Amino acid sequence: MKLYDYILSPSCYKVRLMAALTGVKLELRPVDFHPGAEHRGPELLALNPAGSIPILEDGDLLLTESSAILVYLAAHAAPEWLASNKPEEAARVQQWLSFSGRLTASLGCARLHEMLLRPGDIGALQAQGIAALRELEAGLVEQAERGMRFLAADRPTVADIACFPYVALAPDGGVSLDPYPAIRLWSRAVRALDAFIEMPGIHRLHELKPEPHIELGKA
Amino acid sequence: MTMQAMIDEWYPVGLFSQLDAAGRGTALMGEPIVVASDADGNAKVTGGNGRVLPVCVRYGHVWSSLGAPKKALFSIPEADQTGRRFVDVGVVRVRCSPLRAVENFLDVAHFPFVHTDILGAEPHTEVQNYKVEIREDVDEVWATQVKFYQPLAAKSASGGITTEYMYRVPAPTCSVLYKTCPPRPSEWDVITLFVQPLAEDLCDVWPWMALFDDTTSLTDLIHFQQTIFLQDRSILENQIPRLLPLDPGLEIPTRADLTSVAYRRWLKRHNYTYGAQLVAQ
Amino acid sequence: MHPDTTGSWTPVALSADLPAGTVIPARIPAGSIALWRSESGRPAASANRCPHRGMSLSHGFVRGEALSCIYHGWSYAQAGNCLRIPAHPGLTPPQAIRVKTYPVEETGGVIWVAMGEPSANPPKFEGFVALRSLMAEAGIAAIEAAAGAKASPAGLVEPAESTGTICLLLSAQEDRQTLLHVLLKGEAGTAARIAASRAAESLRRKAEDLQKKGIAQ
Ligand SMILES: N[C@H](CCC(=O)N[C@@H](CS)C(=O)NCC(=O)O)C(=O)O
Ligand code: FES
Ligand SMILES: [Fe+2]
Repeated sequence: MKLYDYILSPSCYKVRLMAALTGVKLELRPVDFHPGAEHRGPELLALNPAGSIPILEDGDLLLTESSAILVYLAAHAAPEWLASNKPEEAARVQQWLSFSGRLTASLGCARLHEMLLRPGDIGALQAQGIAALRELEAGLVEQAERGMRFLAADRPTVADIACFPYVALAPDGGVSLDPYPAIRLWSRAVRALDAFIEMPGIHRLHELKPEPHIELGKA
Repeated sequence: MTMQAMIDEWYPVGLFSQLDAAGRGTALMGEPIVVASDADGNAKVTGGNGRVLPVCVRYGHVWSSLGAPKKALFSIPEADQTGRRFVDVGVVRVRCSPLRAVENFLDVAHFPFVHTDILGAEPHTEVQNYKVEIREDVDEVWATQVKFYQPLAAKSASGGITTEYMYRVPAPTCSVLYKTCPPRPSEWDVITLFVQPLAEDLCDVWPWMALFDDTTSLTDLIHFQQTIFLQDRSILENQIPRLLPLDPGLEIPTRADLTSVAYRRWLKRHNYTYGAQLVAQ
Repeated sequence: MHPDTTGSWTPVALSADLPAGTVIPARIPAGSIALWRSESGRPAASANRCPHRGMSLSHGFVRGEALSCIYHGWSYAQAGNCLRIPAHPGLTPPQAIRVKTYPVEETGGVIWVAMGEPSANPPKFEGFVALRSLMAEAGIAAIEAAAGAKASPAGLVEPAESTGTICLLLSAQEDRQTLLHVLLKGEAGTAARIAASRAAESLRRKAEDLQKKGIAQ
């Protein structure tokens, strides 16, 4: 499987993260998104006329929506990341997969504006981002009341991976995460998963490693 | 808060390769400016009320100034050396003082915690003694013999090595670092941080590199540096206060911070205080 | 600086939102703080500024009984003294390196932080259980107007519509923001708790509307 990838793209990171968590090996094809705008060049537009990344190629399957790519990876390698056949769970996975598009359109665009100087109405983008974070916070509070630590179940699913990156990187776009305790707990639970990988802007949970024992006087 | 002393300096304002006739609106120390190419393809920078600002083009970037620069832009001899690859990394905006951005670039002690498993990793956290001086002849801050253990020092590295660095501050918002070049032990890789001060607490950072590396793709080289810088960005946006404190009472340095101490002293001596906080608050 | 609040307690977070081994940002009238809980479960509060290079300590991490800064890894004990400077492994940090700390108390699922030396214990709300905290872009007056009830001196508001099941513990923040801790009277089942969370969201919406319209200024 070949991923057209940009290291700073939260949407591409969804795919890298999902692949790491499910043990899928990806062939990465780095795209010069910034400053080169390669995603708007002829080669990539031929694959995805929408001019966005990620793009996943596997044989003659060509996917350009990150949610679909997550589902594909999970279906391949780790079906437990998909919804079970419980109706509520299946619906909740779809609910949050759709919702993740709003995170991209709000927090994602605010981040491109604040970080890479993309034009945009920053006040409106941040306000939409805050509205989305509040919905997510309320959803997570309710899940916790049901005894579930993740968005659709008591185990992580593709829905969590679809929502996590733009949320964790909200501060890059000038949107604070301080007011959301449930998001903080959830984000920590995602970051503490075995085989979790980071992207720039999301730091390592150093506490997961014990404090190194340093021999004194080796200077 | 004075910008007098810094107003006559050169600052990066754009990538030469991305100039166009329509021009790009940006800012320099609070003044709106437009960076464009003229009819002959030369860079042209205009300030508020249309006044034409000084321009030079060097190291892939367009440089300008609100004042009257007394010196030519500092030199980087490696920029003319054959065999090097020159990499425009692209702009990243950071909500911090331009001086804080430079100071972070001069620091190795944060590598294990901020650039984990790339530029540093616990337990290799020790910063050994190194040499710092203000070179009076060129009026630059220099740090040499800075050594640090790195798991993945460069895209061209193939495992952990102890990397040696030299740091140079040739202008208040610019720094040039020289580091061990894995494929060519006799040469140094050159990585720079050119910072455009938009305001005292807001800057556009333009990293640039001159490397010996014939195998890595240009895109991979860009992404390696962007990874590193974006890891720093979330630190820089969360330091308090936003302005760089020049009052020694406010923040506590150790031996590992001697470059930062010299940089702050040099800034103070020259009255380079745009983006600095003079009195502790 | 804040004579009226020195020595008094601020409800900064719910106990359940601060698991062992974590650090979170919070706010008291003196400014931003790093609120953390050691692995053994003891809460602590410090100024949210590392004495080294000013990094916000709430971005740091907790190992064992110490809080470490994410920037260069300096670590601090609950009493605020610096324990370790990773760049100098052999060095015992001088006593002068310390971060300002504040007294912390936990009662009824709420974490309280004081400035100065508090003369009394923080208030106890017998019979209440904590549900969740949420931030409103509205001042206390707007929240009182939305709730149709006044806050008690301890900051407790009982919304008129809630018929005594929900209480809001208010804590004024900067810029006309208010932190609301939602408390429920007695143990409630899942459905009732979810309904209470939604009711709190509605009340916040109403308060923010009032704030925007300027009715409550
Ligand atoms: N198709 C959406 C697109 C994701 C998206 O917006 N990606 C950004 C990069 S993070 C992009 O390619 N933007 C195009 C642009 O901004 O020009 C998905 O896969 O979720
Ligand atoms: S700023 Fe906290 S350790 Fe350096
Ligand atoms: Fe760094």
